[in-house]
Parts: sequence; C-alpha cells; structure tokens
Amino acid sequence: MLARTTDAPLVSPLVMEERDGVFAVRFSAMAGPCELLLHTTDRASALESGAIAAGEAWRIEKKYSRYRQDSVTARINGRTGSVLLVDEETASLLDFAKQCFELSEGLFDITSGVLRRAWKFDGSDRVPDAAAVECLLPLVGFDKLYRDGTFLMIPDGMEIDFGGIGKEYAVDRAYDLLMARCPVPFLVNFGGDLRASRPLPHGPWKVAIERPDSDRSAAMMLDVEYGALATSGDSHRFLLKNGIRYGHVLDPRTGWPVQGSPRSVTVAASSCTEAGLLSTMAMLKGSQARQFLEEQQVRFWLL
Amino acid sequence: MQLEADTAGLRRRLIAASCALLSAATARSEETSVPEKLGRLLENWQIQSAVAYYHEDGRIQAIEPVVSAARETSDGGKIDLNFTFDSLSGSSPNGASPSRAAQTFASPSAKSFDAARHTYTVGPGRLPVDPNYSDARAAGGANWTFNLSRLTQATVGGKFSYEDDFYSATVNASIDHSFNDKNTTVSLGVSSENDFLQPIGGAPVPLSDYTLFEKGGHKSKRGEGLLLGLTQVMTRSWLTQANVSLDRFSGYLNDPYKIISVIDGTGNPVSYVYENRPDSRTRRSAYLENRVAWQRSSVALSLRYMTDTWGVRSDTAQVRLRWWNAARDQYLEPSVRWYRQSAADFYRPWIVNNEAQGPDASADSRLAAFHALTYGVKYGIKLNDRLGWFAREGTEFNLRLEYYQQTIQDGPAGPGALSGLNLYPGLKAILFQFGFSY
Repeated sequence: MLARTTDAPLVSPLVMEERDGVFAVRFSAMAGPCELLLHTTDRASALESGAIAAGEAWRIEKKYSRYRQDSVTARINGRTGSVLLVDEETASLLDFAKQCFELSEGLFDITSGVLRRAWKFDGSDRVPDAAAVECLLPLVGFDKLYRDGTFLMIPDGMEIDFGGIGKEYAVDRAYDLLMARCPVPFLVNFGGDLRASRPLPHGPWKVAIERPDSDRSAAMMLDVEYGALATSGDSHRFLLKNGIRYGHVLDPRTGWPVQGSPRSVTVAASSCTEAGLLSTMAMLKGSQARQFLEEQQVRFWLL
Repeated sequence: MQLEADTAGLRRRLIAASCALLSAATARSEETSVPEKLGRLLENWQIQSAVAYYHEDGRIQAIEPVVSAARETSDGGKIDLNFTFDSLSGSSPNGASPSRAAQTFASPSAKSFDAARHTYTVGPGRLPVDPNYSDARAAGGANWTFNLSRLTQATVGGKFSYEDDFYSATVNASIDHSFNDKNTTVSLGVSSENDFLQPIGGAPVPLSDYTLFEKGGHKSKRGEGLLLGLTQVMTRSWLTQANVSLDRFSGYLNDPYKIISVIDGTGNPVSYVYENRPDSRTRRSAYLENRVAWQRSSVALSLRYMTDTWGVRSDTAQVRLRWWNAARDQYLEPSVRWYRQSAADFYRPWIVNNEAQGPDASADSRLAAFHALTYGVKYGIKLNDRLGWFAREGTEFNLRLEYYQQTIQDGPAGPGALSGLNLYPGLKAILFQFGFSY
C-alpha cells in the first residue's frame, strides 16, 4: 500500500484511552491514524510503549518520506548521477527492494514513481498518450541502479520511493522494539497495516479494516490472534475514458495500468512487511490476483 | 503461468527477505545499545586507517599511522578529516661526499666541536650519514565540501603539520562545476601555505664554513598554488582526468642540515660549507590519468610532467591494475611507477676549492639527476559480516608492499682521491602498509 505522507508537522500528540482493560495510544503518522493497543493495567508503561511506537513511525516517516526535503529519499533523488554513500538501514531496504523486484520479475519496483509524471489519477478522463508513457520507461527499472554495498548511484532522471514498503516496515520495526521490552499482549496498527504479538486473554483482537469504495461502506471486522495484516488498494484514484476504467496500479514494465486489479486486497502473514508485499504483488497481478494469492497459500480477503 | 514449485518458492524467499531486513534492523539497534557512544560517534562516518612501515636500506626507517574519516552531510556535502603521526629514525645523508679518509662531523645540535657526544665519524669510502637522525611529525587536515547548486560544489579546508623544528599551515579552496549531463567536471583550486622553521641549533648562514657554527634564528617560507582540472566521463567505464598546476614557494628553501664537501685538486676534503638554494621556486606540472573498469578488473594509467625554475624536470608514469574475485570481496592490485628527473642547475656533489661558481649550491641527492622504479602490490579483503557487531558493509583490511629503487645518473666523476669510490650509492627502500577501513 502506498503511504501518502505530507509536509505536516511530524510529531502529533499522543492520545490515550482505556476500555475493557485495553489501553489505546493514538497518534498521527504517515498521513493516517495510528494506534498501539496494549492489554495492561500499567498506565505509565502503556504511554511509554505508545511513545516508542510513535517515535519509530515518525523516525521512519522523516527518514524516508519523499515529500520531506530533509529525507534520505529526497537526498538520493536530488543527487542523481553521482555516487552516494547511504546508511546501512537504507542499504537493507534497497536489498529488500531488489529481492522483491527479482521475485516479482519486475512487477514490484521502487523506481516506478516516475510514471506519475504521465499519470495523474484525479478521476478525470486525461489518459496520457502512449508516447508520453513510452518515453518514461527508460527511467524505470530497479536493475538500472548501481549498487555496491553502501554506495548507490541513481541514473539521471530516475527516482526511488520507499512508500511501497515504508509503512509495513515501520509496523514491524515498532513491533520488534516493543517485543524487546513489553511482556503484555499488544497490537501495532499504522493506518490499517498491523501486527499483533499474541491474543488477548479473553480472545482475539477485533480489528476494523477499511474497505474503500464498498457499497456497504462499513469497515470489515477481522479477528486477529497474532501475526500481521496488510491491505493494498485505493480505488478512489482512477481515470475514466470511453467507458474504460484506468486503475492507479501501474505495471512498471509497460507503464500502463494493470487490468482487472481488485479494489482492495488484505493479506495475513507472519510479518507486516511480508503481508504488504504479498498484497501489493497481488494488486499488480491484476485479474490473476486471486490465483496468485491462492498459490501463495496465505489467508486473504479480496474486494 | 508459473509452476507451483516456483510460487511456493516465491513466498519462502519473500519470508527470507523480510526476515533479513528486520533482523538487520534489530541487530543494528542492539549494536548501538552495546557500544552506544562509539556507535553514535561512528554512525555515518567512513573511517580509514593504516599503519605503514618504511625502511630504507642502511638509512631511515619510519612508522606512519594514518587515520582518516569522512561523512556526508545532510545537504549532500562531505566532511573529511585526517590525522597522521610519523616517527622517523636512522641515518640520513648529510650531503658531504665520501672520502679516502675517515671524516668527523658535528651533530646539528652541537655548538662547537669540543663536545665528543655531539660528533660522529664516518669511515673511509662510506657515504657520510648522520646516524642519530630522528624526527616525529604530527599532522592533521580537514576539508568541507558543500553544494553551491545542483551542479556546483565548493571545498574549503586546511591542514597543519607539526615537528620539533618545522611547523606548516595550509589553507585551500576549490570549486567544481559539472555540465554535459554531469559527464564533464571542471575544477579550480587555490592554496596558500605558510611554513616556519626552527632548525636544531639554529639556521646556518648559507655557504658558511661548517666548523664556524654560524647559526641562529628561525626562518620562514611561503607558497601559493593554483590548480585547473578537467574530469571527463568518456564511457560508462572510462574516466579521464587532466590537471595543470602552478605553484610558487619563496623564502628560506634550504635544508638547514645539509652540507657540501669542499675538495682540493687531489680530491681530498679541505672543509665543508652549508648549502644555499635560490629563495624562490616556481613549479609547473601537468597530469593526465585514465581509469578504465571492467566487470572484475580495472586499470589506471597516469602520467605527470613537472618543470621548475631550479632546472628540475621530471616525468612520472604509473600503471595500476586491479583484479577482483568472483564474489568481489577480495582484490589484488599490482602497480609499477617509473620516475625520472634531471638535476637542479645548482646541484654540486662537491665544490672545488678556489674555483669560481654561482651563489647557489646543494649536494642534496634529491636534487640530483636520478631515475626510480617502484613496484607495489596491494591485497584487500572486504569483511562485511565476518567480524560480528564490529563490522559493517565496507569494512576492509588491506596489505600493501612496495619496493623502491633509486639510481643516481650522470653524476660527475670524482677527481683524484675520489675516483674509484662509490659516490652515488642510490637508494633502496621497502614499504609495508597494513590498512583497515571501517
């Protein structure tokens, strides 16, 4: 799922409330509502854990948002054509993005953002002409980046965007930080991408997953004991021309929207990063999304 | 349509990739909590360190540790810091010629010949060297590079060097501008150096008799440099670089410890005088380097030509090859450097008594005509995760071995008693360096 971030101030207040022995610490990050749920009686440690989760979300947003001038992403995209030294965390994310690129045979590509120069999904009928898309294709392709350890060079005109993995990575990072110091059951939920440590004493966590564009317009309720859920899809973003609907999911290999993508894919997996990649890849598989997910032998919900 | 085995493999590999990403992050956060201060301090810094051992056959040996650190700043600039500490000891030629008879010299610190502990004697036929030579030098430098625009970078910096008898401070500034899709970079650099000399026992009066101990005071010199550079990316794997530079030094340019033998018609020394060099020197040089890289090898070829107002002209050619192994974590880098220079106009291995000569004279073999060959080999291994928490990507050990051989050319034949002596023994040296980048 693409994390939409803005230039709004990063640090928002932490709001804490308690219901049925579960503390909820809420804050804003990555342009969405985030929360940490904990089953505990210790109010102070709940707030402290919330601050840790929020701190990690804000750290990753500040570091990787391509909308922030001071981010690593902006620095990398602003210095194309020259060799840069990146830190180890960024190098790990690039390694991960490379493996996803290879595993998906080029479908998942963090360099595909340049296609947005031709495609503006504003609900209009302004479908770009084929030549405009064609001339962007040489600027897409993770395999065109030069990497050597912590050295990175991005060819001129290209750009990278960690939006496709940043939020899920943030959920897993916050989860790992809390696991190291928090013995009680908890659930990290950053804008619908979530991960739970273990079930509540009296049963599973009840989580609401927003189903955008659903006729029922009601959230889907899911039971989660432990593990992660990630959802991809945002069907408010499309173009409509001559009766053909052009969805916002672009195939980086052709530059054109994938046909027949589901409106929304939710996948359960052991980590949020893995769940997020599977749901994103399913979207990119278009009409073959269901078959793809069945082959992966994961639990999923399609709309 | 993919085979089922492939898609099951996809998920398994995705799990492995996710685990690698997350466990690396956890390992990093644990790493910073253990040696937290050190970790924080080193974060984002690339550290390079090396210890070199230099040994000249029968003369000086030196140990030189070097540490340098570089980091990128948040606005895409760079900060470089470096520190060096040299320790030299051994025997250094004092400039006098060999002789058929034993020769006795005073140490630089001597005020007269009466103190026996301040003298040393060189046997017949031997090149006179001061056996008590020792020196220690501490030096540091810093450079800050910042972006003036997307295509223009500026660097400002300075360095400082300290020895018991010598202090040097340099400031430098340069500007680089790229164009032609960043394939071409032009550079302009300027530098200014100020040196202060406080020779042991005082600076001798040039050409004064060695036994009169006419010494005193301290001296200074200054230098200015100008450099114009052009770097051109020829193809994806071929880079060429050309520089021209001009620098000028003025002030006290003598070596305060170097003397010259004054011989009579029979070739025997009658006295020794301190050397005297012109008080300015202007150098022009041109440099061309080509670097070509292939998948697992690269070659760098460089040529330099230098000429100065002292009449020294030199040519340098160096070729360096590098081979990587298949995993690209080990490399071997053999190199050969060839150097040739002509003698300074005022180079005199000795002065003949009562013979007319110009005001400038030096017997320093570094101003003689010579050629030199350096053979080197370097081996490097990247450690990556082989060192546990301490290592990170880019951690590398390397070893370098160099052999240097200098042959002095076209020295005048010795008259009388000097004939048959080895007047120009040349120099052989080895360098062994152990380096670690972090």
